[in-house]
Amino acid sequence: MYNLYTRTGFAVLTLLPLSMAQANEMNPDVSVVLDGFYKQNHTALSHREKGIGLGHSELSLSAPIDDLFEGRLTAALESHEGETEVGLEEAFLQTTGMPYNLSVRGGRFFSQVGYLNGRHLHEDDFVERPAAYRALLGSHYFDDGLRLNLLLPTPVYWQIGAEAFNGNGLSEGDEDIGVYTINTRIGSDISTSQSWQAGLSYLRNRQLHDGEHEEEHGGEHEEHEEHGHGGHGAEYLGENLYMADLVWKWAPDGNNRSQQLTLSGEYLYADELGEHASSDDRHEGWYASAVYQFAPQWSVGVRHGQVELKEAHGDHFDDQNLEETDVMLGWSRSHFSTVRLQYTHQEADGFEKADNTVMLQYVMSFGAHGAHGF
Amino acid sequence: MDFKRLFAATLLGLAALPAQAAIKVFACEPEWADLTRALVPDADIHTATSARQDPHYIEARPSLISAMRRAHIAVCTGASLEAGWLPALISRASNREIQPGKPGLFFAAEQVSLHQPHNHVDRSMGDVHPEGDPHIHLDPDRLPSIVNALADRLAALAPDDEHAIRLRQRQWQVRWKLETAKWREAATSLEGLSVAVQHSNFGYLLRWLGVEPSIDLEPKPGLPPSASHLSEALADPALDRVRLILIASYQGERPAQWLASKTELPVEILPGTVTDQPETDTLAKLISHIIDRLEHHHRTAEHG
Repeated sequence: MYNLYTRTGFAVLTLLPLSMAQANEMNPDVSVVLDGFYKQNHTALSHREKGIGLGHSELSLSAPIDDLFEGRLTAALESHEGETEVGLEEAFLQTTGMPYNLSVRGGRFFSQVGYLNGRHLHEDDFVERPAAYRALLGSHYFDDGLRLNLLLPTPVYWQIGAEAFNGNGLSEGDEDIGVYTINTRIGSDISTSQSWQAGLSYLRNRQLHDGEHEEEHGGEHEEHEEHGHGGHGAEYLGENLYMADLVWKWAPDGNNRSQQLTLSGEYLYADELGEHASSDDRHEGWYASAVYQFAPQWSVGVRHGQVELKEAHGDHFDDQNLEETDVMLGWSRSHFSTVRLQYTHQEADGFEKADNTVMLQYVMSFGAHGAHGF
Repeated sequence: MDFKRLFAATLLGLAALPAQAAIKVFACEPEWADLTRALVPDADIHTATSARQDPHYIEARPSLISAMRRAHIAVCTGASLEAGWLPALISRASNREIQPGKPGLFFAAEQVSLHQPHNHVDRSMGDVHPEGDPHIHLDPDRLPSIVNALADRLAALAPDDEHAIRLRQRQWQVRWKLETAKWREAATSLEGLSVAVQHSNFGYLLRWLGVEPSIDLEPKPGLPPSASHLSEALADPALDRVRLILIASYQGERPAQWLASKTELPVEILPGTVTDQPETDTLAKLISHIIDRLEHHHRTAEHG
């Protein structure tokens, strides 16, 4: 929904590196992420086409604005059938000087619902987000709005947050505040080697009241799948979306450079699917993933997940079900380069394109050193 | 005699120290926790990393965010050593005292000049920091300036304790001068010793001692030792002068042991920073310990 593919946009992006060349303290941090892949077969609910292609190329600028604000701008370039689309993924300011560990973010940004949604795609351990994320959040839900976060003065880490968005990143509608979310996150260390984090999120989509949404859904659904826009509008929606996530990490002596095991899982549940849905209709999905970085440059991972969906067809819903297992081997020459081989197995009811596929992907970044969270 | 006056002040000061209010400190690495403790013994210090961890690769995990939320000051290395995790911590903790440019964020590397600053860096050179080598914490000559700057910063944060902090600062400087004199003596016997290292963790101290790190097991700064680079190292004529393979305790032993098995060189695994073991629980003891071990191997090599 946010793709404005323009030549001018492209021109601006190509000019930026030139102005960077004269290193200057005032210049913002610039970072670029390159993502390319080969995919053997089509798969269901995928945002990556079969064959050789480019994934999510990103150009990001960030800097302190003054002593109270910092800002970030991220443009994502995606290529579909010979056309380059420039999408604005992030354009936000964040406060740095609020009392009581409060922070406010305004503009366009990733919603912080769930564990994965707030992260950039290039931080992921697998080529694509779990099926439940692709169906219910369009891989990563971002939108225009305002966020308020508060860290509670408790001995363990406990964050609560609320976001208000215009909602057009998920579905069309006339509401000023089309989507709001509330979420909380706690976490701590169990020992030097182990740490964990758990989160609960609720997302309310207020735009599903108006009937026009389902029309768009039923009619354009197939086309959406063909084009596979990276994260622009979810394909399956509910007025309420509930999410629970849990992450546990283990690294001997806490030295995650040499070895690290990460177990993570999420559960997503959406109900109130629209006008024609009965009260029993719902979308439901989950995944569990284990990634073991067994040497500084090598990691293996396995992920299994399932999503049960209701596909809208005019005045009724059809059942769809997709079960997905991914196995991954990754090699990172340095902190900035990753090459990944992945095999994905899909079993589906109600999807035409479900298949098994091998994928080979690279994710490389240059420019500023991105700081990654837990 | 400056020395005597300082000594007198030190001894008198010990008796007259007032109780300190607990200032909360987030120390990125144990060496800065040690210096902070020397200046403010009652400080409530949370140390983010240990000698068993590679300080370049830490995650902004919940417990660290929580510790930074509570802190009055963060004491870190800087010069991009913590670039992979500190900015995320600062942003998530939303502590308005600990922000870039605020007195609550202290970078040791900003208090001294660094070895090997670069006008041009790119990552084909490895993880090279444009500011220079950030592993300054074992340099006998640079630490006094860092302690002075840290004392200024802590005194400004806790003006009521300024008197006590200044006394501790002088005590530390006196002790350090005495230690440095001993180390300098040791350095004369170590001069010209050649060692193999992995990364530049011990670089400042080795340079100060006149010990030459003639082989680096890392192909490029920050990249783990590879088989091909190790075979190159094995064929390097500089290896003939090497008497010892020196690595830090957070680094995997295998590359060093492999080279040792091919060359019969001894491997010494030393903590890269302050630990909670009695023989290395302060920076001064750690430096003495490293020098002891180097001297031990130097003597063995000469007499064996």
